[in-house]
Amino acid sequence: MLRLLRTLSWRHVQRHRLRTLLTFLGITLGVGVIVAIAVVNRSLTGSFQSTIEQIAGKAVLQVSNGESGIIESAFPVIRDTAGVQDAAAAVEGFLPVRGAEKERLYVYGVDLLTDSAIRDHQFVGAKSDLDQALDFISMPDSIALTESFSRRLNLPLGTKITLTTSRGKQDYTVRALLREDGMAKVFGGNLALMDLPVAQQALGKEGKLDIVDLTVEEGEKIEAVRERLVQRLQGAAEAERPRKRGEQIELLLTSFRVGLFFVSLIALFVGFFLIYNTVSVSVVQRKREIGTLRCLGMKRGELLRLIVVEALILALIGSLAGSVFGWLLAQLALVAVGETVGNLFSLVDLGPGIFTLRELGLSLASGLAVAVLAALHPALEAIRVSPLENARQTAWSPSFRGKKSWATRLGLFCLVASPLIIFLPPPLPGPVQQFSVGVIGMLVFLLGLAFLCPLIINYGVRWFWHWALRLPGSSWVEARVASDSLRRNPVRSGITVATLVISLAAIFTIAAFVNSVRGSLLAWVDQMVTADLIVSSGARTAGPRNVPLKEDPLSGLKAVPGVKIVDLYRLIRSSYQGQPIVIESFSARESATVRTLPMASGDGARALGEMGEGKGVIISESFQSRFGKGANDTIELTTPSGRIAFRILAVYVDYSSDVGSVLIDRALYKQYWRDELVDAFDLWLDAGADQQAVIADIKEQYGEPYQLFISTHGELRKAVVHIMEQSFVVNYAVEIVAVVVAIFSVINTLLASILDRTREIGVLRAIGATQAQVRRIVVLEAGWMGVLGGVLGLFAGTVMSYHHVVYNTKVLTGWTFQFYYPYDVALLSVVASVILCVIAGYGPSKQAAATPIVAAIGYE
Amino acid sequence: MIRCIDVRKVYRQGKNEITALDGVSLDIARGEFAVIMGPSGSGKSTLLHLIGGLDRPTSGELLVDQRLVGQMADDQITLFRRTRIGFVFQFFNLLPTLTALENVILPFVLDGRSKQEAEQRATTLLDKVGLENRKDHLPEEMSGGEIQRIAVARALAFDPPILLADEPTGNLDSKTGESILSLLREINRGSGCTIVMVTHSQEAAGYGDRTIFFRDGKVEKENT
Repeated sequence: MLRLLRTLSWRHVQRHRLRTLLTFLGITLGVGVIVAIAVVNRSLTGSFQSTIEQIAGKAVLQVSNGESGIIESAFPVIRDTAGVQDAAAAVEGFLPVRGAEKERLYVYGVDLLTDSAIRDHQFVGAKSDLDQALDFISMPDSIALTESFSRRLNLPLGTKITLTTSRGKQDYTVRALLREDGMAKVFGGNLALMDLPVAQQALGKEGKLDIVDLTVEEGEKIEAVRERLVQRLQGAAEAERPRKRGEQIELLLTSFRVGLFFVSLIALFVGFFLIYNTVSVSVVQRKREIGTLRCLGMKRGELLRLIVVEALILALIGSLAGSVFGWLLAQLALVAVGETVGNLFSLVDLGPGIFTLRELGLSLASGLAVAVLAALHPALEAIRVSPLENARQTAWSPSFRGKKSWATRLGLFCLVASPLIIFLPPPLPGPVQQFSVGVIGMLVFLLGLAFLCPLIINYGVRWFWHWALRLPGSSWVEARVASDSLRRNPVRSGITVATLVISLAAIFTIAAFVNSVRGSLLAWVDQMVTADLIVSSGARTAGPRNVPLKEDPLSGLKAVPGVKIVDLYRLIRSSYQGQPIVIESFSARESATVRTLPMASGDGARALGEMGEGKGVIISESFQSRFGKGANDTIELTTPSGRIAFRILAVYVDYSSDVGSVLIDRALYKQYWRDELVDAFDLWLDAGADQQAVIADIKEQYGEPYQLFISTHGELRKAVVHIMEQSFVVNYAVEIVAVVVAIFSVINTLLASILDRTREIGVLRAIGATQAQVRRIVVLEAGWMGVLGGVLGLFAGTVMSYHHVVYNTKVLTGWTFQFYYPYDVALLSVVASVILCVIAGYGPSKQAAATPIVAAIGYE
Repeated sequence: MIRCIDVRKVYRQGKNEITALDGVSLDIARGEFAVIMGPSGSGKSTLLHLIGGLDRPTSGELLVDQRLVGQMADDQITLFRRTRIGFVFQFFNLLPTLTALENVILPFVLDGRSKQEAEQRATTLLDKVGLENRKDHLPEEMSGGEIQRIAVARALAFDPPILLADEPTGNLDSKTGESILSLLREINRGSGCTIVMVTHSQEAAGYGDRTIFFRDGKVEKENT
């Protein structure tokens, strides 16, 4: 086998370097995307865990309650629980650094005297940690920065640093520098340590704690202590091991990560077709060689092995290169993903993606498995042809028996199976599993269409040349020969068209999904956010980058001339039945006359009225779908005041989070959550009020101290769309890969088609076809593939995107999106498909036109 | 009609040079039916390719229908070939997906003629070769002799002054071969078309006016 590989395969590769390179690049790109997404997903998983574990120090248990917090008075209850050895309380939050755009500090407030039992803070140059701590605490503006942060922003000991806090800008003095070890390594060193009361004030969490870290006495069972804590806390907070907390935060990202995973499947799918195409072409090119080998006594099995091993070797090299490319791609993707996760879920410390044996295994397994699967059929087809035929035939291609072919049968089977998979799925436990079945159903549909491509070409293309006659500059013979050559090898042309269909369908599905999300989101923003101005700090939208403010500016804002109503909006992460949820609040009573609520079910005005009267809460449709709760049901929420039961008044549409939201009136929220922070001040203006004058007025009074963002309705819409589009960056990258691989496929097919028709091209040239006419024939052939691929891809994309938007997304996220058909993308994708194919066909067309006539006529 | 003056054709194969034609000089008169014979590798097909403008001589002068074909640009030689030369090949070389009629009209449509005009002329030609009733058949549905007749009809599309035939009966049985040769003879006599035919067959050579023998790239002898 080795000798055969060296003498036959290697020389074939050397003679067809361009095609080998195209295939190699195709595999590299496909595997690269899979590896990149795997690295990103793993980095996402690992980063939350490692951050929490680094911060947790020696703690084996943590008491917390999401962003709801714990009442400070609960601390002695926790500390004095039997079995608890040490307890250290902390508050945490991100605050923007003034004068350094985009820099945010993770502020961690602890009691330095007790915290050393849990964490080992190493101060640079301190005589002893205790001395340093005492000096630090004695001055209320003390802040400790990490060495790297201090160096990067040139903030040595004794200098001032200004932060945007919940009370506006505050100056702090750098009184200690932390060695970058343990906890100080989190968030790339963007960590600031403060004394607990100072941090509470900065974060607006006076009287509250975010977390209490605990160690247990020797000989005590951690689980037993945890159970005791749960009992004593009576629902006012939750006690978990640090790892469990990390897992809960990761749950926030489930949909995002599942989406990424399925995007990587597209790359694999397209890669499969490219390898299939390449091996088919390689067999065509070597038909005489194969025939000779068979005549000389090579067994069918040996030939089969030779072809498959060739594909495997190419896939192995491509996969190894894909691993390197994937790792590099992951580094870029991590920046984009970190930004998205930071905007939507939680600020995250995404370190450089680590490439482990697991990723290497994944790349090799995907590359090699796809190669074997893709090479098997052309290899089987090759060995089925008799030695005599192989040596004689002028043009060999995979056989196609029209309606009776296995591809057609399989295609029809897939088209029948697909709706059955989608609409009659087996009973499955979770949304991820149900979503996966939906995606599989769609892929089966796509596969069905791909298998039917040869049949469609066989019957469809014969009509093409009539239409082609109407094309400017195209003559009868060019149109006819181009159409006929597609029809002569429907399997090979079909594979290329199928690659185009899959690429285009994937692109269109993503585009239609983004369009639908954008449309639905904007319609929702228009209904949900009726305020004329939205005033916030730190970021334009409520979320992890936003700095919650105290209510202090409220009275001032109300007094601004032109302002009619001011309402306060708050969004926090919490949990329900151990799963992450979001709690949203505003004053329904305050804004009853000006606010509307997009409802999934129930009367919005009545529900808002009842919510304002404190009669219950309104849940989002994601919450309803995840927890199976609806109107008139009761839910028990964990609040700092304990576990409180609320009646569900109605179900509303909310796209701010797919984990499920509970909307509660601010008065009730403040009462139970003991939280007076505000994420955004919603302002409605008097009729005829000068909006710009109001903005100027607010900026003058509060803009500078609070680093305010004052957004008009239009600006908020833009910000929402920007965040949404940013979350699809990785998907766009996969789209590009799919397009590139599809183009490689077109070039491959055309090169093979030309090879098949060497003699025909020679004859055409002999009887008077000019080089330009031959070029046009090949380009036209490529154009037809583009038309077919474009139209079928658009059809598949339309079906898939509708299913994805209307059914599958609902399953995974609970969100109902309106389907907004992207007419512009539809038109563009067909046109681009044709143009790209024509461009891809140009190189092969030049090669065809330059075919030496004498050699071509003598070609067998 | 055709004049070769010291024509040489050298092919490079790696580091080796192969001389296919080694200073060939000959004249073929208008309306003549010339037959070229010789063993394999003697250069007879090479000469035919050079006359037809499918290839260029390495040196020497080659005048075909008063044109120096070796010095024409690719587009010029293509147009020349299309309208002034007809080709008949051993392997027929019809386009397999086109019907008999469509194969015959190919040169016309390549020339940008209207389809009606092309079909009219093609039907006449098919009638001439006795296959008007087979015009809608694909090559795979016809016999070898019929296919070669279609190829002859295609070669006559523009009523060319020169018809080049490269072993036109090489793939046919003797009876069918005879009918093709009779057809070529008829064309030569009827329209005065100059025919240059390469063959291995003595019987086929009997249909020509003159036989030129090639050996090792040179004209060995001529029989009239």
